[in-house]
Amino acid sequence: MVATQDMALRIEGLVKDYPGVRAVDGATVEVVRGEIHGLVGENGAGKSTLIKMISGVVRPDSGTMFVNGTPISFTSARDAYKAGISALHQELSLVPYLDATENIFLGRPYPTTRFRLIDWFSLRHAAKQIADLLDVDIPLDVPVGELSPATQTMIAIARAISVQATVLILDEPTASLSDQEIRRLFRVLHVLKQRGTSILYVSHRLEEIFEIADRITVMRDGRVVSTLPASQTSVDDLIRLMIGRSLSQVFPKRTRAPGRPLLEVAHLTSSKVSDVSFVLHRGEILGIGGLAGSGRSEVLRLLFGAERRGGGTVTLDGKSVALQSPGHALRAGIAMVPEERRSQGLVLSQSVVENLTLAHLRSFALADIFLRPSHEALVAKGLVDRLRIKTADVGQNVAQLSGGNQQKVVMGKCLAGQVIVLLLDEPTRGVDVGTKFEIYQTIRGIADSGSGVLLVSSDLPELIGLSDRILVLHDGHLVVTVEADQLDQEELLRLCYGRPPA
Amino acid sequence: MKTIALRTAKSNQLYIRGLLRRYGTMAGFVMIVVFFSLLRPGTFLSPINLRNILEQISILAIVASTMTIVMVVGDFDLSIGSLASLCGVITASLLLHGVGLFPVIVAGFVLGALAGAFNGLLVSYLRLSAFVSTLATMTAFRGLALWYTDGSTLFNLPAAFLTIGQGSVGPMPAPILVVFSVLGVSWLVLTQTTLGRRWYAVGGNPEAAFLSGIDTKRLRFYAFVVSGLGASLAGIVLTSRLASAHPLAGEPLMLTSIAAVFLGMTMFKEGQPNIPGTFVGVLILGVLNNGLNIAQVNSYIQEILIGATIILAVLVSGLARRRI
Repeated sequence: MVATQDMALRIEGLVKDYPGVRAVDGATVEVVRGEIHGLVGENGAGKSTLIKMISGVVRPDSGTMFVNGTPISFTSARDAYKAGISALHQELSLVPYLDATENIFLGRPYPTTRFRLIDWFSLRHAAKQIADLLDVDIPLDVPVGELSPATQTMIAIARAISVQATVLILDEPTASLSDQEIRRLFRVLHVLKQRGTSILYVSHRLEEIFEIADRITVMRDGRVVSTLPASQTSVDDLIRLMIGRSLSQVFPKRTRAPGRPLLEVAHLTSSKVSDVSFVLHRGEILGIGGLAGSGRSEVLRLLFGAERRGGGTVTLDGKSVALQSPGHALRAGIAMVPEERRSQGLVLSQSVVENLTLAHLRSFALADIFLRPSHEALVAKGLVDRLRIKTADVGQNVAQLSGGNQQKVVMGKCLAGQVIVLLLDEPTRGVDVGTKFEIYQTIRGIADSGSGVLLVSSDLPELIGLSDRILVLHDGHLVVTVEADQLDQEELLRLCYGRPPA
Repeated sequence: MKTIALRTAKSNQLYIRGLLRRYGTMAGFVMIVVFFSLLRPGTFLSPINLRNILEQISILAIVASTMTIVMVVGDFDLSIGSLASLCGVITASLLLHGVGLFPVIVAGFVLGALAGAFNGLLVSYLRLSAFVSTLATMTAFRGLALWYTDGSTLFNLPAAFLTIGQGSVGPMPAPILVVFSVLGVSWLVLTQTTLGRRWYAVGGNPEAAFLSGIDTKRLRFYAFVVSGLGASLAGIVLTSRLASAHPLAGEPLMLTSIAAVFLGMTMFKEGQPNIPGTFVGVLILGVLNNGLNIAQVNSYIQEILIGATIILAVLVSGLARRRI
């Protein structure tokens, strides 16, 4: 057991509720001085909320925190910073119009000259020293908005380490970095560690965690499941701990009658996807698994014409299709439910019926000019009944619907016209369990009617339970195609992390 | 018992707010009319004065209609005032050079459409902000008009041309007929056609519109072309009405038309630009102007009062919208 005075950070019973969900549920974590502490968990396990509370961005509902044994309570990130906590969040909070120097020293008093003017010379000198410590060539006087994501990350890291912090928190710092840059970062982290700084390191990349962390804490469903020494555990153990839940969800029965090939994709390539080939059959639900950023959404957006294709061919029902824009795709019978319903799926200022008919408006008008409102209302009412959308009437503003019903409207948009291939990106994100089940039924129904469905989901039970087969993507490459009923979550997650099948 | 009482009080409050939000601006308009009717009984409501008001607002109503369309798509067009002036001086000059009436009007429209297309190109395809690009073209169009005329006014236009702004069909003044056609067509397009529906979708959420298969760039481009056409029509009618073309004649149109659309956004289709609302907005500004003139209020003070009215209308509807 480590003595309390050696604890750089100790949090006890931290709780945070958001409407309808307890994001963090009584988390207790201890970080020893001079330790690199890994924090892992699935999407939505509560990692980000936890570190936001530790860094003063979000206020906990209950629980206590100690820095160097002193109880602390933050009302702002500034308080946390004063207490010696420096954090790099997933969304880089850089000011795009300011240069690297100013971003690194943002929110801190700048050195001044005798005349009370800012001493730019010493400021730049200090920035240069930090960049040298990181061993990177950061352009210090260019607005950071003009720099690459990787360089921006390095600047954010430079800012985080420029403080002589007691605890340094890094949330997914390597997401946009090259291997070489990751090496440099790890070297700096080791230096900081030797100087006695404690580091809380959050990452989806388990190999990295094992490489750098001394101890690892696993979170699941808002709780801390376990804290283990890295030397006494394995990637497979971690994955088991991360999943270990029994979500009893009922999935509609597979009616597995794979029809003729419907959509043949060969050598699909873009900036984020390389050489992906697969075949979708009639009546099939084909799942696409992978971590966030693995290229799964990209595949859907490419097939929908929402993103420019770098190479490859797509054949629909034996005919080659160009798919240069969503308009082309929709006319060819390919519809998509995008990832974000509010920002991508709906026009919130318009009514339910206006949203439902938007993607196929041509078929609700004479010569694509004069709208036929009675025809629109008729089809909209049919969709409202079929999908059991709870709305006062079809003329109601879609912004007034609940999240689940809004999601059904996004689904209904695809069904307002002929759909041969349905592309689904996170079709049940942020939707309650009852509505999820209804959406599953609808999806299976569409497949049973002879269409093909491509399903992207971060929800592993959903992906396994609903799909017939699953493609697994890693870093933009197609790793493997597996039959869904021969797969459990652990195995799927292992594949998503790019590890060979057990 | 207490909670029930509270709830009804609260729902009453919501109900009143709803009324205020929807009809507040309309009620304000009625109050303005009643006020001036009482202040100048014989004059204000006389048929001659009412016709006068309609004629005075005709040019504003034309540009406000097309400005409504640009604002539906979520943009602004600051160049319409100077474009109207430019079209006015170019048509006047062509007429003075003896070109026929019909070709001149066509030339005016072509100029307006091309200028609008240029704005559309900058905003939609070259991705400049609408504010910056139309501010720049506003300045450039004004410079062109001034350079072309050397700052002078063009007179002695042919009589046939003057009927557009001064003639009448039966009892109805010609410009008022033009206004109602423009309002009617704009309303029809915005509410009854796929184009209008898609314009609203692009303005509401460009990303969702794009993912619904809409060519958002082309639609924004079209909106600016329409705006250019509206400006050229306004410039032609204005020139005909004044029987002269001045390179700065259209200047006040830009701010006033945006104000009219904003007033209109406070009523009917809630928070969104719409043609009936814009028309009421134009009426409010026209009636205020006319009434204050009849009441012989100093014209500088008139501007202050009109500015205050706009703030008041937007404030009242904004307050009613808050905390629901």
